[in-house]
Amino acid sequence: MVLSFFKGGSGEGDLDHIFAKTITMLGNARHSFDLATLALLTDAGASAVEADIRETDERINSDEQELRSELVVHVSVKGNADIGSVLGLTLVLKKIERIGDQAKNILELSVSGLSLASRPNVDDMLTQRQELSTLFTEAANLLGDPGADEDAISDFTDRANATLPGIQEVIDQCMVSDQPGHEVVPLAFYYRYLKRIVVNLIGVVRSSSEPVPLLDHHEETDI
Amino acid sequence: MTHQTNLGESGYRNSSVSSQRSFAANISGPVRFGGVIALIYIFLVGVSSLEAGIKLMGEDTQEQLFSAVGNPIAALCVGILGTVLVQSSSASTSVIVGLVASGVLGVDDAVPMVMGANIGTTVTNTLVSLGHIRQSNEFKRAFAAATVHDFFNVLAVIILLPLEIAFGVISESAQWISERLVGSSGTEWKSPVKAWVKGPVGWLKDLWDAVGASGNLQGALMVATGLVIVLVALAFITKNMRSLVADRVERSINAMLSRGGGIVALFLGLVITVAVQSSSITTSILIPLAGAGVVSLRNAYPVTLGANVGTTITALLASLAASSPDSLTVALAHSIFNVAGIFLLYVIPVARNVPVIAAEKLAEIAVERRTLAVGYVATVFIVLPLIGVTALR
Repeated sequence: MVLSFFKGGSGEGDLDHIFAKTITMLGNARHSFDLATLALLTDAGASAVEADIRETDERINSDEQELRSELVVHVSVKGNADIGSVLGLTLVLKKIERIGDQAKNILELSVSGLSLASRPNVDDMLTQRQELSTLFTEAANLLGDPGADEDAISDFTDRANATLPGIQEVIDQCMVSDQPGHEVVPLAFYYRYLKRIVVNLIGVVRSSSEPVPLLDHHEETDI
Repeated sequence: MTHQTNLGESGYRNSSVSSQRSFAANISGPVRFGGVIALIYIFLVGVSSLEAGIKLMGEDTQEQLFSAVGNPIAALCVGILGTVLVQSSSASTSVIVGLVASGVLGVDDAVPMVMGANIGTTVTNTLVSLGHIRQSNEFKRAFAAATVHDFFNVLAVIILLPLEIAFGVISESAQWISERLVGSSGTEWKSPVKAWVKGPVGWLKDLWDAVGASGNLQGALMVATGLVIVLVALAFITKNMRSLVADRVERSINAMLSRGGGIVALFLGLVITVAVQSSSITTSILIPLAGAGVVSLRNAYPVTLGANVGTTITALLASLAASSPDSLTVALAHSIFNVAGIFLLYVIPVARNVPVIAAEKLAEIAVERRTLAVGYVATVFIVLPLIGVTALR
C-alpha cells in the first residue's frame, strides 16, 4: 500500500482506470441482461442462471461503491480540474447499477415461475432482446472511445430512442388488454424493465459526454 | 488524459480558465522536478538570509525582539500564532530553525515554539472542515476528522511540554543525536549546503548595501527578504510537488481505503507529506474524504499522525543551510516530539481512543450549535495564543 506510492510513473491515468472499470461494469450488466432475458424468453429457466446473475449484480454494486469512492478521492486530491468527468462518471455508474437492478428484476419474473417462452411472438421478442444486447456493446464502445464525436453519440441515442415507442406500445396494450392478468402482467413488467434499461443506456452515453445540459446564452441574445 | 478530450468536445470545458490550467498542467514531470530542486535551493537561500539578517542586527534589537519567548508557554503561543499566520508549520519551523542558527533563539525557547507550530498547522484542515458546515452529517464527520488532529497535538503538548520544561527530555534527546551527527552545541558546523548558498546570500546583502541600508535596517531587510523567499519557495515547492505526485497520492489512498491498517495509514501520511512538503495538504485531502464518508475517523486519524512526522522534514532540510548544530537540534526536536506523541497517544491502545472520542464529542456539539465551531477555531488558534503571548511576555 505505502509501496504503491512508489510504483509506476506519476503520469498514470487515474480517471482512465475508472473509465475502464466502468466499461467492465457495463459488460457485467449486459451479462446479467442476456442471462435474465434468456431465462424468461426460453425454456432455460431461472435456476440455471440465478446464482450467476445475483453474483454479477453484487459485483456491479460493489464496483459502483468502490468507483464512487475513488471519484471522491480523485476530487479531493486533484481539486475541481476534472469535475465534469467526475460528475459524468458518477451519473454513469448510477445508471449502470440501475441496469443491473432491472436485469435482476427480469430474473425475479422467472424465479416467480413466470415464462414468456410460449408466447406466439417470442421469436420477435428474442430478436428484440438481441438488438438491445447489441446496444450495450455500442454504449461501451462509445464510453471507451475518446474520439467518439457528437454524431456517433446522436446516432446511438436516436436508434435507442427509436425502440422506445414500440416498447411503450406493448405496455399500453397490456393496460387495456382483456387477456388474463397472469399473461399480461408479466409481459407489462418485462417491457417496463426493458424500457428502463434502454433509457438508462441512453443516459450512460449522454451523461459521459454531457453531464449537465450545455447552456449557451449566445444563442438567446444578440450579444 | 484521453477521456478529457472527449468531454472537452461537448463544450463546457472550453473556457479560458481551463486553457490556462491546462498550460500549467502540461509542464512535463522532469521540468517540474528540476523546478522543485531549484526551489529547494532558493528556500535554503531564504533560510540562510534570515540567519544572516538577524546576525546583522545589534544585540539590543535581537534581545528586544525575542524577549517575549523567554516563557515556554508564551513561546508555545508564538509558535501557534506564527503558524496560523503563514498556514504552514513547515514555513514557521524553518523560520525557527533560521532564528536558532543566528543564535538569538535558544534551543530551550525554540522547542515550545515548534510544539506550538504543530498545533497551529491544524487550523488549515479545521478551516477546510468548516466548508461542510451546511450539511449536518457531512460536517460532523469532517469536523471530527479535522479536530482529531487538534486534540492529538494539544494532548501531546500537555504531556510533553511539562516533561520538556522539567527535564528537557526532547531537547536533550535531540541534542544527543545532533552531537553525534554534526558536533556539539556552540561550535560552527561546516555544512556543505551553507557553502552552496553563501553566494546568493552575499548578493542579497550587497543589494541592500547598495541602496544605502546598514545596521539594523539592513538586518531587518535581510530578514524580510529571507521570510518572503522561504514562504514563496515553500508555496511553490508544495504546489509543484502536489502536481508531480498527485497520481501516486490518489493511487495509494485508494489502496489504503481498500485494505489499509493503522500503521500503513500512518506511513502513508508520512510519505505523502514528505513528498508534498506540507502536512496541511495531506490532512486537507482527508477532510472531504471523511466528510463524504469514504474514510472513517479512525482510519483518518493515523494518516494525520504520519503527516505530523512527515512535515518535520522541511525543518531538517532548513537546518542543512544553517551554521549552528543547534538548528539541527531544534529540527530533530520537532521530529522527536511528533514520534513521541505517536508512541504515547497512538501505540498505547487506551490512549489511542482519547483524541478520537474527544473529536467525536466536539463534532456532536459543533453540529448542534455551529457558531461554536467557528468560535472554537477563533479561540484555540487566535484568542488563547494572543492572551498567552500578551500575559506571559
